[in-house]
Amino acid sequence: MALSLQKGGNISLSKQDANLQRILVGLGWDPRSTDGQAFDLDASAFLLTASGRVRGDQDFIFYNQLRSTDGSVEHTGDNRTGVGDGDDESIRVDLTKVPAEIDKIAVTVTIDEADARRQNFGQVGGAFIRILNEDTGQELTRYDLGEDFSTETAVIFGEIYRHGGEWKFRAVGQGFVGGLGPMARNYGVNV
Amino acid sequence: MLTLQTGQKAQLADLGAGSILSVTARVTGPAPEYDLILFGLDDQGRLGDDRFMIFYNQPRSPEGALSMQGGARGEKTFTIDLSALPSHVRRLSLATTVDGAASFGQIDHAEVTVHLGGAPVASYRVTGRDFQAQRAVMLLDVYHKGVWRLGAVGQGFNGGLDALVRHFGGEVASTPAARPAAPAPTPAPAAPPPAPGPVPPASGGLNFRRDRARPEPTPAPPPAAPPPAAPPPAAPTPPPPTAAPPTAAPPTAGPPAAPVSLQKITLEKPGQTARISLSKGGGSDPIHVNLNWNKGGGFLRGRTDLDLGCMYVLNDGERGVIQALGNHFGSDRFEPFILLDKDDRTGAASDGENLTIYRPDLIHTVLIFAFIYEGTSDFTRVGGKLTLKDPRGNEISANLSNPDMRRTFCAIAQIENHGGEIQITKEERYFTGHKDCDEHYGFGFQWSAGSK
Repeated sequence: MALSLQKGGNISLSKQDANLQRILVGLGWDPRSTDGQAFDLDASAFLLTASGRVRGDQDFIFYNQLRSTDGSVEHTGDNRTGVGDGDDESIRVDLTKVPAEIDKIAVTVTIDEADARRQNFGQVGGAFIRILNEDTGQELTRYDLGEDFSTETAVIFGEIYRHGGEWKFRAVGQGFVGGLGPMARNYGVNV
Repeated sequence: MLTLQTGQKAQLADLGAGSILSVTARVTGPAPEYDLILFGLDDQGRLGDDRFMIFYNQPRSPEGALSMQGGARGEKTFTIDLSALPSHVRRLSLATTVDGAASFGQIDHAEVTVHLGGAPVASYRVTGRDFQAQRAVMLLDVYHKGVWRLGAVGQGFNGGLDALVRHFGGEVASTPAARPAAPAPTPAPAAPPPAPGPVPPASGGLNFRRDRARPEPTPAPPPAAPPPAAPPPAAPTPPPPTAAPPTAAPPTAGPPAAPVSLQKITLEKPGQTARISLSKGGGSDPIHVNLNWNKGGGFLRGRTDLDLGCMYVLNDGERGVIQALGNHFGSDRFEPFILLDKDDRTGAASDGENLTIYRPDLIHTVLIFAFIYEGTSDFTRVGGKLTLKDPRGNEISANLSNPDMRRTFCAIAQIENHGGEIQITKEERYFTGHKDCDEHYGFGFQWSAGSK
């Protein structure tokens, strides 16, 4: 049974599954049920060093750069509406290939053209992030963001990070002012 | 008070204490009517029980935890007693709908104010720019997830009320005739709290369509024409008005003359009258009064401050004065439902000063006046023009022209409710001040000097 996390909670992925090598980060949300422009949510991943910043632009994995140069992190593609059961977007991480200087992988979700469409996460229902063992399909942990959102347009859903030889996951659920651009710049990406 | 943005959420306990919420919603826009509905939903957001859809045909839930009170046009107040709410109702969704070709992209604005334990704690406002073709909009949710929370929704459906009800998993009555008019739990017009009336079986779905036959405030006998109520002991109110007690109104039909069309008529002479019938469903349509004047009072004179105001007596005996002096601007939400929009000190505002009588059906007598606060003492130099409009475009105008320097107060028009017919009489009588005027009309106020 996967352990469900609350905002701020963390869990050792390595302890959940001793043979863990590759994980799938699944992200989901409900499509818009009302009339108006669809919620187009974009998942991204940032490969961060211990300083909390990327080494270079190649460490920013998003819809226009789906794969890291070392192949450790791969975005499976953009879903424009949130329609469909299960995960709407997902990111594969091969933990064995993550370079040693990468300390943490931040997984974020931003709303495309949020300001122009006057949208924010408070309007999006059913958002979650979950971590699966990609080899077994077993869900290791899950974080339902539920009531943790309000007027944010960019949210750090969770972080996969090294901790004394283990891989852990933290349910962050923290909003960020601005959209994907400011968020990327904050992590040291030149956009 | 928290000002919610669309999408914003808050925990109720962070806003205040108490379990009784009062949610007042008001929509203003070009449509003749915007309906307000409170849906009592389960934890899945479904309308499992039609009896918890609180709206015009069903203003109260069976156990009374949810109820609706009317207000001015396009305004309703819902009272929510969270402690009395059945445990299966976990989400209350306040929505507004509009009929016909109108949409929420056209509204001026919609505003929701939440009171908790009697204190205002949150407000939420949207405008037409937040919408396009939506004909039903969910405004605000009060919901239970661990604790009771508020959420500003601001989303809706082009398909109107039908789509909204389907969104909540409700059944839409296949035909408007699905429910015969007779046994509907329609509140009687003057009846006190409607009994939790029988609700038809869910098989046909709830008839959410407006029962047009429902007795709106009609021109029929005014409800028991109450005598001027004794002033409440707490308030040092003036003696009852000596003139125009409500009983003066004919209890039945009023003047036999057919209601006249008031299209753009100008009441030229004092004593001329015009009538607006409330029987055309106009009982709660507002009457607008505008006062505008020239900027300067002459080359050598300074600016002129002309003030608009009114003295009023309501049918329930309530009376008072609305004017900028003393900051008595009135209210569009509470008695007397008469609101003065601003104090234009110089005549610079292009639209002058505006007084709106939101509930002509509730008034007994309203005397519209204007007076020169400062700048000149001669109405002829002010170029004051008063325009009175009812919602159907009827218009009455008066130019202020008395040359008597000492009389800087003008009673312009008297609006009276004669048992379902609004009668407007041009007065244009000039007085030396409020007191002088009051003595003539007999409202019986006590006056003291004031300044601003």
